[in-house]
Amino acid sequence: MTNIRGAMVLKKNKGSKKGKKLFMKRENSFEVDNRFEFEESEIPAAVTKEVETKAAAAKPISKPVSVGNEPLQQAIADENTILIKRTVRSGQSIQFDGNVVVLGDVNPGSEIIASGNIVVMGALRGVVHAGATGNEDATVAAFKLQPTQLRIANHITRAPDGDYVAPEHPEIARIKDGVVVIELYQMGQDRQIKIG
Amino acid sequence: MLDFLLRVFGKDASSSKNVAKDRLRLVLVHDRADVSPQLLEDLKEDLIKVITNYMDIDERALEVNFDNSDNTVALVANIPVIKMKRNAKREEKIG
Amino acid sequence: MGEVIVITSGKGGVGKTTTSANIGTGLAAMGYKVVLVDTDIGLRNLDVVLGLENRIVYDIVDVTHGHCRLKQALIKDKRFEGLHLLPAAQTKDKTAVSPDQMRELCTELKKDFDYVIIDCPAGIEQGFKNAIAGADRALVVTTPEVSAVRDADRIIGLLEAAELRSPKLIVNRLRPRMVKSGDMMSIDDIIEILAIDLLGVIPEDEMIVITTNKGEPAVLDNKSRAGQAYRNMARRITGEDVPLMDLYADLGLVNRLKKFIGFK
Ligand SMILES: Nc1ncnc2c1ncn2[C@@H]1O[C@H](COP(=O)(O)OP(=O)(O)OP(=O)(O)O)[C@@H](O)[C@H]1O
Ligand SMILES: [Mg+2]
Repeated sequence: MTNIRGAMVLKKNKGSKKGKKLFMKRENSFEVDNRFEFEESEIPAAVTKEVETKAAAAKPISKPVSVGNEPLQQAIADENTILIKRTVRSGQSIQFDGNVVVLGDVNPGSEIIASGNIVVMGALRGVVHAGATGNEDATVAAFKLQPTQLRIANHITRAPDGDYVAPEHPEIARIKDGVVVIELYQMGQDRQIKIG
Repeated sequence: MLDFLLRVFGKDASSSKNVAKDRLRLVLVHDRADVSPQLLEDLKEDLIKVITNYMDIDERALEVNFDNSDNTVALVANIPVIKMKRNAKREEKIG
Repeated sequence: MGEVIVITSGKGGVGKTTTSANIGTGLAAMGYKVVLVDTDIGLRNLDVVLGLENRIVYDIVDVTHGHCRLKQALIKDKRFEGLHLLPAAQTKDKTAVSPDQMRELCTELKKDFDYVIIDCPAGIEQGFKNAIAGADRALVVTTPEVSAVRDADRIIGLLEAAELRSPKLIVNRLRPRMVKSGDMMSIDDIIEILAIDLLGVIPEDEMIVITTNKGEPAVLDNKSRAGQAYRNMARRITGEDVPLMDLYADLGLVNRLKKFIGFK
């Protein structure tokens, strides 16, 4: 069972069942184009410095976590991963051919573009693009998933206009049936309860 | 008391807006004429060249500046004269 | 064929972005086709002031570098059909765009829009040169402070040198009460010093902060005095003759008394 929760969309208007949208607002999909090609030179120095620490993130996690159709630790072990041990601030752009793990917040006005998955161990408030080269299985996970805009492969979603409830639990975004959905992030798929 | 009244009725010449206005006027004369400290230095040297044809002056004490008293901007030079030269004009002609 | 208007100031933080957003929205509310161009690359603000920050996919640098078509980068406003935003890039710097590219961009935009409003960054360097490159006319924003007026004067000189003749002045954040008490330069004082035409005066108004928080320009708020001032200004831009609003109307008994006695 899956807990599909549009945390970014759930409006505060109590009692109104109609206001309980399930998905983030979906923009028109766009073509993945040369904007998201990766060049070695485009990775900021501050980021490349931390690339050496990537092995740490690739260590197997004791409990299996599912991402798309494959276990997360395997997905991570297969690809390059960088670990960014700082807050990503407005005006900073991290572009990486692989997975990106941030130990810190991702602030509004910043962007992370990765060909793989994006994991933020903090609040994600900037623009993120996972699977930027077209991988529809890519996911975005964060302790507080409140992106300005979230893109996976060639899907674009954004927070709805107006108030929305700040997420209280870690969440994960992925493409399901051609739509980006936000789910409560839980250890092990069997424990995810459908409330949507 | 009068000062207080003037202030209350916004007619005080030293009210902060008038101070602002006066300062702006002065600063804009510099800005608009693009008067850099270097330009003032050059002006000073040229003045010295011309004046020394006629009189001996204390070059180090010479001051050239813009002054904005009485709502006008003036070029004010303070040039201490040591002594006049007698045949200033003729000297120049011969030279 | 539309008109390109650049909103500039020299000094930072005097209200260029606020003014761009409000004038642009005001013109769109009147039914004109308007595009707002944010040229403050690296420090983009116009998107958040308009509440459009979460719709940005492409920006001005993507357009000038050919990463996308101009139409793809234009963001439609949520309130007005005719209002669009071309956002600045946040992760680049001012040198990512050149004056020639800006000129080309403005020529393109003029074909489709009645008004192209350009929000200029602070300063007189590359960002300023980019912003004014394609402009047909210029509006200079200042506040009634010595530093801001001085910088406005410098900008007016630079605009004239760049053949952008007769820029118009916008005085922002005027506090009528302080002007009355002689602690703030009045409009007349500023005009006398800068010797250019006035387009409008915007009072200091808390509603600017509140509306900016919400991403809804004050010009849409009927109760806001600053909003009223911006509405008037938008009409003046279209050529209408709108008198200046009376900012001194309700300044309390003492002031009314003073007026009565003749100490105007
Ligand atoms: N009339 C006003 N009343 C109150 N606050 C104002 C007014 N105009 C502007 N402000 C405030 O002043 C601040 C600066 O305004 P704004 O960002 O528009 O300036 P700017 O000239 O674009 O700055 P920058 O040079 O950084 O681009 C903002 O916080 C804005 O809310
Ligand atoms: Mg600005």
